[in-house]
Amino acid sequence: MSPRGSLERERRQAYLLVAPAVLVLGGVALYPILAAVWLSLHRFILVFGERRFTGLENYAYLLGDSRFWAALGNTAYFTAVAVTVELLLAVPLALLLQKASPGRGLLRASVLVPWAIPTVVSARLWAWMFNPEYGVINRMLPGQDINWLGAPGYALHAAILVDVWKTTPFVALLVLAGLQGISEDLYKAARVDGASPWRTFVSLTLPLLKPALLLALLFRSLDAFRVFDAIYVLTEGGPANTTETLSIYAYKTLMRSGDFGYGSTLSVATFLCVVVLAAVWLRLLGREETAR
Amino acid sequence: MFALGLAVLVGVGGCRREEAAGEAAGRTRLVFKYQPLWGPPEPFRELLARFERENPGVELVTEALPNASDLAHQFFLTSLEGGARDFDVLVVDVVWVPEFARAGWIADLSGDFPPERLREDFFPGPVEAVVVEGRTYAVPWYLDVGLLYYRTDLVPRAPRTYAELERFAREAMARTPGLQGYVWQGRQYEGLSCNVYEALWGHGGRALSDDGRVLLDDAPAREALAYLRGLVERGVSPATVTAFSEEESRRVFQEGRAVFMRNWPYAWSEAQKPDSPIRGKVGIAPLPTVSGEPGSGALGGWQLAVNAHVSPARRKLAARLIAHLTSPEANRVLALSYARNPPRPAVYEDPRLREVAPFIASLLPMVERAKPRPVTPYYNLISDVLQSEFSAAVAGLRTPEAALKRAQRQVDHLMGEGP
Repeated sequence: MSPRGSLERERRQAYLLVAPAVLVLGGVALYPILAAVWLSLHRFILVFGERRFTGLENYAYLLGDSRFWAALGNTAYFTAVAVTVELLLAVPLALLLQKASPGRGLLRASVLVPWAIPTVVSARLWAWMFNPEYGVINRMLPGQDINWLGAPGYALHAAILVDVWKTTPFVALLVLAGLQGISEDLYKAARVDGASPWRTFVSLTLPLLKPALLLALLFRSLDAFRVFDAIYVLTEGGPANTTETLSIYAYKTLMRSGDFGYGSTLSVATFLCVVVLAAVWLRLLGREETAR
Repeated sequence: MFALGLAVLVGVGGCRREEAAGEAAGRTRLVFKYQPLWGPPEPFRELLARFERENPGVELVTEALPNASDLAHQFFLTSLEGGARDFDVLVVDVVWVPEFARAGWIADLSGDFPPERLREDFFPGPVEAVVVEGRTYAVPWYLDVGLLYYRTDLVPRAPRTYAELERFAREAMARTPGLQGYVWQGRQYEGLSCNVYEALWGHGGRALSDDGRVLLDDAPAREALAYLRGLVERGVSPATVTAFSEEESRRVFQEGRAVFMRNWPYAWSEAQKPDSPIRGKVGIAPLPTVSGEPGSGALGGWQLAVNAHVSPARRKLAARLIAHLTSPEANRVLALSYARNPPRPAVYEDPRLREVAPFIASLLPMVERAKPRPVTPYYNLISDVLQSEFSAAVAGLRTPEAALKRAQRQVDHLMGEGP
């Protein structure tokens, strides 16, 4: 048999082997996305009992929809602030966790507790803690009581705080994995060269940690951009939609108003935003790989 | 996103579920979908069993719905749009009846329950909510109404006007430092719309014009929002009411830290619990108004309707079940065992009810005046707009004028789009 023929056969076998996975992915990921895109091209409001193809009309309305832009702004702000704070906290936390000390295993496990609690449950807990009348947060803070969930400037930051509390441990673990990939020899060399701990961190740890940080950024920003449950439990998007994110707007339009056409348009818009975000991060990550 | 997409698909695309099986052997399986009635299960079970005894050959099956109204709505939206036929009788919230009727999901019951007869037997508020364009689409099952709670030890009597409420509150607050005046529901959600509509009626406004337009940008609505915002600005209500739903306000009131509260009847039994700090110091009254006439509370509660997708024979049987479950006798069972307010005035005269559940009997003046929020098929479309604009006004983000203008524009846009 010629080498070419065996290669051909191998390739066929490869296709056969990935076929189930591709089918499953197509069924659970691709088909719903395409269906949502198809729905988004319709005017389809349940209560009006009508369903007709309107092409890009929904998208034209979207461009002029101030509520959409406000929701996009809220989502972007939430993502940017939450992910930045999480990374800033996670790096020192990971450095602490890496330090060999007795009970390290237990410490690492216990750090993950906030991450392990279902979001709806922890958001409910936080809603009680934020309660301006009997919540523990206002009791602990000096000065005037803050109306955490009812004042426009505070509510979104309260939601960010909940997200930071919940996901910083997850980011810290990702960073920790990155830290452990750095060879001990490099640190020894730095010590021999007489580098200060700060210098070692800036010139050695941080550059070598970059892939792990980018990966954490990728995971977290995609996740944060689709935030729904925490905010829905805390405020349902209020007051005056100042905490409404794209997912919440889409949910309300789809499930509360029964406007499947425009609701799907919103979902598709969210999806496209996430795709763009992912593409940017993956590109950065890819450049990092090739640079090495 | 995926989950949302998937939910839509399941609802729209596939799964036309079949009629409940078990038709064989001459037995009909009738499925009733409702929300759990908290309390001892036996009395309600007995009520259902009686229907089975009176209708031999019928097997009655109950299926529970999620307790949250929003989730129940979502369930019906997807299953009824998908043509589900696996349940026959369903509960519907007051604000859903026109929507479900318009969408063709619930059957016209005018034959079995003519509107004229409903008007004779039931309170006007719930009848208004279930009769759509002169046809009956549901029958009131039990109802809920917004009330004013007040502290009998802190104020001389229930206030009749808004000015009186404010004066009483201030006097009590001056005597007791740290006390709050009036707590209500100002968070962005459906409860806020109820509070705003109550204020709107109290200022002499109407929810709908004669030709069915939702009225927002008019003087009573502006005054209503200005009044609610003013309560916060003048310190009669704490700034934190903008984050309150029912439970938050009830807790503050129950801890004895507020003079007045707007809430539903459920707060009564909580306030009267043995360990409640305000036990025996609470009174209820109709909400105040500008004029001093007893005010109207927002109507809540549940109605029974028939799934329009099931066969005519089943519909007939389903209507019979509804007649059984909404009879005066059934009203009494629900009132006595589950503290659900009867929708029939006659039941309030019942001596047994007056003796065993005097609180429910005492709600008669409020229930009589209860009004539904705008009765329109588009309520769920517009309530989203209402909630955010009302919230903006109450939180002080926009003036009442600006918020109402925006709301009116968006609502007119939505309604104008209707065919």
